[in-house]
Amino acid sequence: MPKCTIDGKEVEFKPGENLITVAKRAGVEIPVFCYHPGLSVVAQCRMCYVEIEKMPKLQTACSTNAAEGMVVKTQSDPVVKGRAGTMEFLLLNHPLDCPICDKAGECDLQDNSFGHGSANMRHTEERRTYVDVDMGPVIEKNMNRCIHCTRCIRFGEEVAGIHEMVAIQRGNNIDITTIDGNPLQTEYAGNYADICPTGSLTLRDFRFRKRAWMLKKTSTICEGCSKGCNMEIQHEGNVIYRCVPRENLEINKYWMCDEGRMNYHYTQDEKRILNPRSGATFIGWEDAIQTLKDQINEKPLTVLVGSDLTQQELENILEYTKNYHKGSSVYHFGTEGVFTSAQDLPVDKILKMKSKTSNLNGAEKLGIKSVQEMKSASDVVLVFAGGRANVQSVTKKLEGKKLIGIGVYSLNEAESFSMVLPSLSFTEKDGTIFNHQGIEQKLKRAIQPKNTIKAISEILMLTANKKVKVGAN
Amino acid sequence: MLAQRKTGFFNKFYLVEIIKGLMITMRNMLFAKRATIQFPEERRDYSEKFRGQHYIKSVNGVENCTACMLCPTVCPAECIHIVAGEREDKEKYPIKFEIDSLRCCFCGMCEEACPKDAIKLSNIYEMSQQNRTVYEKEFLLEQRGNK
Repeated sequence: MPKCTIDGKEVEFKPGENLITVAKRAGVEIPVFCYHPGLSVVAQCRMCYVEIEKMPKLQTACSTNAAEGMVVKTQSDPVVKGRAGTMEFLLLNHPLDCPICDKAGECDLQDNSFGHGSANMRHTEERRTYVDVDMGPVIEKNMNRCIHCTRCIRFGEEVAGIHEMVAIQRGNNIDITTIDGNPLQTEYAGNYADICPTGSLTLRDFRFRKRAWMLKKTSTICEGCSKGCNMEIQHEGNVIYRCVPRENLEINKYWMCDEGRMNYHYTQDEKRILNPRSGATFIGWEDAIQTLKDQINEKPLTVLVGSDLTQQELENILEYTKNYHKGSSVYHFGTEGVFTSAQDLPVDKILKMKSKTSNLNGAEKLGIKSVQEMKSASDVVLVFAGGRANVQSVTKKLEGKKLIGIGVYSLNEAESFSMVLPSLSFTEKDGTIFNHQGIEQKLKRAIQPKNTIKAISEILMLTANKKVKVGAN
Repeated sequence: MLAQRKTGFFNKFYLVEIIKGLMITMRNMLFAKRATIQFPEERRDYSEKFRGQHYIKSVNGVENCTACMLCPTVCPAECIHIVAGEREDKEKYPIKFEIDSLRCCFCGMCEEACPKDAIKLSNIYEMSQQNRTVYEKEFLLEQRGNK
């Protein structure tokens, strides 16, 4: 492989790699604004200046491909001066309202200004201000903070596949806006907030709720569909504040859809059932387990499992039915109209899949049949669901039967059940899921569950015990 | 070798020493400047820099605070709790601003960190309460002490 020298270190590179990627491998960080590994290169912000030997002027590292024998300096005097000059230009019209900006703490402009800019400001003129357009329900816009890196424009064109953000006017009057000031159309609008290097585009959902540096981060998998996008749950004090995508080039690259991003809301919804519920009244766990035992009573059962449960939970359920309810039949359910992974096709060319449950592939791997193949059902039907599976599609089919729900249910869903035992949602449990490609991924517990809900394994264990004794949580 | 104490019948009563000591006591009692003051009526002058009870600066009844959360971030006692909200004109403001006064160690770091000069420590030092006190936003918004 060819080699080049960056800050005195020899680095190997593949032909066609740009200097930022190569430098990163050598452990040299080059500051950037407009460059994003998932987007095309425009070299607009002029922040990634480097000095290359035998070249008369400073070059932008993002648009310069590494070449054999190239000697690059990223910390020389002209580079430092060039970056400071760029920073000063970018900050000419920046309002410096970091105290009220949601991006503060994870802002590229803040970091690079601190690292490469000057603490003093020379210009005294009035700053340029804009009137903001309404960007729809996901994104809040503040054009005053914009540095015109055009990442958002390129994201729309190249990734979301919709040309909705544009730069109008020129020079000092440049305005980044939507076409005709319309709200955003794309279902991937949350990514605009992620890629924006300043606080110009921020999430409405997260607006003013918490500062970025206060959040704890748990790396987990989105359970919104069978794509299995890698994401990070950001939480503090046992409350989830937002979800952001993690980089995984095999699955979701750098992106995530809005549905998955906002999916966590149901786990901390007021309507989620957090206590055992029999009929329309909430009861204690000991009563609940006793009633459950009386009703199922070692008979063969029809058991429905949501394909949003983890592999471990599915295995537990299979083992339980095999040992305690001989002759039971287990079926999986999830999205209406998607019963097998062959029917699970992409909705668009970006990320979304038809199956709205995360572990359809895993349920099939365990040999669980689809609910479509269910001919008849027992009088008492156990329904396990992780919160994402479409319970209503099943309850319609099973009208007249006694339904017992175990898992994550909302009050509306629980109306058709004779009993509901609350269990853990995807933010509160560890586990394995298989995405539509068959890639095995791990869910990780982000927040501590309420002490009134129990894991499916624990509920099954209590039910299997001869004597009902529920220990303190 | 220890110094030999003067012995004798008269010296045994230490009369001279007692009188000397009493004279110092009387002199201090009657003529010296008092170290204590009559507290509620008399008050000491404290420095302008004294770090006493908190207040939030306000202009025309609107608090300076923008709920930037720098004070709870820097607070070593973790006694400041802020919930931010959005005003109708899209400005950020604190819906809730609470200071747990018993946890507070009056270090003044919040005052130093505040970019808007909103949270201040006044020179009021009479803060004794009969129950655990959490200073609410309404309480903090009253302008007290050195302004």
